[in-house]
Amino acid sequence: MAIIERPAPTVPAIVTPTSTYGLLKRPVSTTGWRSWVFTVDHKKLGIMYAATAMFFFIVGGVEALLIRLQLAAPNGKVLNADLYNQMFTMHATTMVFLFVMPMAAGFANYFVPLQIGARDVAFPRLNAFGFWAFLFGGIFLNLAWFLGGAADGGWFMYAPNSGPVFSPSNGVDFWALGLQITGIASLTGAINLIITVLNMRAPGMTLMKMPLFTWMITVVQFLLLFAVPVITVALFLLSFQRNFGAQFFDVAAGADPLLWQHLFWIFGHPEVYILILPSFGIVSEVLPVFSRKPLFGYPFVVFSGAAIGFVGWGVWAHHMFASGLGPVSVAVFSLTTMAIAVPTGVKIINWTLTMWGGKLWFTTAMKFSIGLIVLFTVGGLSGVTHAVAPSDTQQTDTYYIVAHFHYVLFGGAVLGIFSGFYYWWPKVFGKMLNEKIGSWNFWLMIIGLNMTFGPMHILGLQGQPRRMYQWTEARAGEGFFNLAFWNLVASIGSFILTVGILMFLINVVVTARNPNKAPLDPWNARSLEWMTSNPPKEHNFDVIPTVHHLDEFFHQKFEEDEATHTMKQVKTAEEIMAEQERNADKHIHMPSPSYWPIVLAFGLPIITFGVIYSHLISVVGGVIVLFASYGWALESSTAPDSDFENNTPGTGLDKVAANHD
Amino acid sequence: MSRRKIVNWLAVKIASVRGVTRNVLKPIIAVGGISLVAASCATNAPQDTWQPKGPNAKLIDDLQQPVFAVAGIIGLIVAVAVTYTMIKYRDRGQPIPEQTHGKPALEITLTIIPALILAVVSVFTFGAIFKLAKTDDTEMIINVTGQQWWWEYDYPVQNEFGITQPIISSGQLVMPVGTKVLLRETSRDVIHSYWIPALNGKRDAVPGRIHTLRLEADRPGIYAGQCTEFCGLSHANMRMEAVALSKEDFAKWVANQQAPYVAPAKDTLAKQGEEVFLNQCVRCHQVNGLTRADGTPAIAAPDENVWSGAAPNLTRLMTRNTFAGAMFDLLSKQCRDEVWNAPSDVVGAKYLVGVTEECLNQKDLRAWLRNAPEVKPMYANPVDLAVSNGKYRGMPYLALSEDDINKLVAYLLTLK
Repeated sequence: MAIIERPAPTVPAIVTPTSTYGLLKRPVSTTGWRSWVFTVDHKKLGIMYAATAMFFFIVGGVEALLIRLQLAAPNGKVLNADLYNQMFTMHATTMVFLFVMPMAAGFANYFVPLQIGARDVAFPRLNAFGFWAFLFGGIFLNLAWFLGGAADGGWFMYAPNSGPVFSPSNGVDFWALGLQITGIASLTGAINLIITVLNMRAPGMTLMKMPLFTWMITVVQFLLLFAVPVITVALFLLSFQRNFGAQFFDVAAGADPLLWQHLFWIFGHPEVYILILPSFGIVSEVLPVFSRKPLFGYPFVVFSGAAIGFVGWGVWAHHMFASGLGPVSVAVFSLTTMAIAVPTGVKIINWTLTMWGGKLWFTTAMKFSIGLIVLFTVGGLSGVTHAVAPSDTQQTDTYYIVAHFHYVLFGGAVLGIFSGFYYWWPKVFGKMLNEKIGSWNFWLMIIGLNMTFGPMHILGLQGQPRRMYQWTEARAGEGFFNLAFWNLVASIGSFILTVGILMFLINVVVTARNPNKAPLDPWNARSLEWMTSNPPKEHNFDVIPTVHHLDEFFHQKFEEDEATHTMKQVKTAEEIMAEQERNADKHIHMPSPSYWPIVLAFGLPIITFGVIYSHLISVVGGVIVLFASYGWALESSTAPDSDFENNTPGTGLDKVAANHD
Repeated sequence: MSRRKIVNWLAVKIASVRGVTRNVLKPIIAVGGISLVAASCATNAPQDTWQPKGPNAKLIDDLQQPVFAVAGIIGLIVAVAVTYTMIKYRDRGQPIPEQTHGKPALEITLTIIPALILAVVSVFTFGAIFKLAKTDDTEMIINVTGQQWWWEYDYPVQNEFGITQPIISSGQLVMPVGTKVLLRETSRDVIHSYWIPALNGKRDAVPGRIHTLRLEADRPGIYAGQCTEFCGLSHANMRMEAVALSKEDFAKWVANQQAPYVAPAKDTLAKQGEEVFLNQCVRCHQVNGLTRADGTPAIAAPDENVWSGAAPNLTRLMTRNTFAGAMFDLLSKQCRDEVWNAPSDVVGAKYLVGVTEECLNQKDLRAWLRNAPEVKPMYANPVDLAVSNGKYRGMPYLALSEDDINKLVAYLLTLK
């Protein structure tokens, strides 16, 4: 599709420089690996984000399986203490920073521009840079496995246990610096998406007509914008302590180790909502589509999401109820934590009432969404039990907490992500995922996750602490249903869960081999991303739609029957599509690919390598970053016409696009 | 509708509902029921958080039980509501419904109800938080210090309990029943967390800070606990046990802890063991009253060898039932069970017997003396210690001969 970067010759306002001031011409490849590596297309980047995140999901999953193997029986010998500590640290780090966050970024990248009727994000090159920074940061984090051992202080990395004496390998350095890089990716992504949503919505799409997924993603980007700088500061303190002899957490030098805890959790609690809100958004798209009804109480869901975004900043110390804050702080944070349960409960109620009175179609996507409602509720309610601070002092740092946040994050975030896979797969790849395999995928995951994380409630309440590389029969109790039994059940469950996830990967392969194309509007969907082809064209929409309703696409297809108030179809998706193609915009200007985002991002891990090994390497990395910034700033805004093959200069875009459709 | 018709209609309805029950709800109820029953069977785990054995834990339990009940009921309501909606509104060919956008009155009601429930919960929570933080009626103080990977208990002078000179112990926290004991916690290295679930919730031991935690036991007994703040390599092996003794038994324990040192008789294996101890162990481990051959007191200097600057004081080692951070039992399995399972009126007497030669867990103690880092993960390999200026975290390998170990075990058995 050579429509990329075709300046419109008839529009004089766009100046096309004849020479390039950067060092390299802008690339123009539209096929092959170059079209992916140098792309700035939000859809390609979305797929790359999601595919990379899926890879790290498997890495984190293998780490989880090793943990469950070790804990299946008392005095486990699969891993030694050192390796086990690395394993649970990297399992959490990988799942949080390298799976759920970038997966949400993938969904956001792909669907936010489509849902608001835009042709790309506000800063396409920055978008590409964000992906590459995430990828290189993730690789850098995991390189520690091969260079003396990964981080071993837990994902919360409490000081002073993260100091050079207590964690002598380079693992914590790789961890801190790797997260700085992925943090840069998150920040650039957040700024990009906020500006995209605020500035690039289709005509008529007021904020209160915006799809719920886009709303939740917007809230998440604001959370990222304010939360990432906090962890950035904390990580800098940690790196300076470890690499440059600073003493921010050194008690002998007068420091207070609780400083780290406050910094970490001021980031860490909003982070929890950063992980869950995108899935709330997905569910809020899926449920109305398969209930054939609008989301119940749309403004309540929007404002409760925003309320979570605000109150989420005032609850961090509930992670520290046992750390000796004093009763007044504990009471205040106990209250705020209970308060945040209210807007979360609002969402559960609204989702249930969305289905009420509907016409429910139990596709795999719908099943995953309903699964989220029920299982997230379990996690939410166990959350309320430890908002009660005194009972939290019994539960914190036991398996009860592990059960809680896995119900929230697996039962919530991950089920939402899988719902999104099944719902949007035809949109992205033009093919339907197999519903039969999907059903296996769903039920095995549901059984597996309840078998894995359900017994952990019992384990925790019966006093088994977290982060122990071995448990002992001496503390397991007697009788058949003792802690040994529940540990074994959890381990067996984790393998069922694994089979469930494998079903998804099998489904992907089966679907890829299936020649059948997906219909244009397979679900009878409601929002703008479905008002274009599957997969969408490079420029997303032939005509930028004008929005009159929430669920604009649905209202173009259906009208209300005056007598019965039920809805009858007046137009098909194909008719709407054909109408768009007839009226296609003549000159669509799309951003050009660029070499510089990947080069710039590549400089970052080289700088951080140097921090650990030799500062000379950092200088090399710095030079790459400067060089790439120079190229980035001065490259021409478009590639000249002559760079495009198979293309006569001066022809209109419509002709080029037609050649490739 | 005739009566017959109504009966028929009812029969059909009931059959269909029963069909749904059989297909959907029965497995759910069965699985849920079995889990609940099974969960309630596992009530004898030593660290069960639902079996309070003292007023502080009881206060927490009284607060959390109703919260769990309410949470369970709400969870059930949501599950039933979702299931009912799924069955009632499944696609049976009905037309696409009216596109209603919600009912604000219902919405606000359903927002206020959970808010009210939580408001009620928070009132009781506040009460409990401040009650648990109360320290002004404390009757006894014990200083508790965490370090990798064991706890030290330091009893400051408290004449009303017969403590006329400080007692320093480790592994087991010995305390009198019915007494409001205040733990003053700190740490010598990283953050640890003190937790005896039967007596109270957790409190972190943070270096540079002193945090307080109140414990009180209703009846004599031994209550298990575990360090719950991740503290490095052997976090899993950092355990503790609180031993509550009747006031009379506690007085006996105090008197014994303060009794003067009795050196082993001449020409015994134990006496040779004392020499080995003086050569090797005393570098880090203090035994109060122990003197060198020339009569000078043998003062341990753990600060020169250990990163945290402390090693367990072994003065009355054999009055404790555990060693190495309560990772191993000093009592053999059978003897240990006899003490732990003793009824509360005799547990004190059994505990005060201490460790006799017949009851000693020879296997684990010898393995420990032979090569400690092999049985407990620690930073004790001299080649790895550059970053800590050559100081150990944990007990190093001492290359003791089997002969030395025999002597040492004989000597250690005299420390009671």
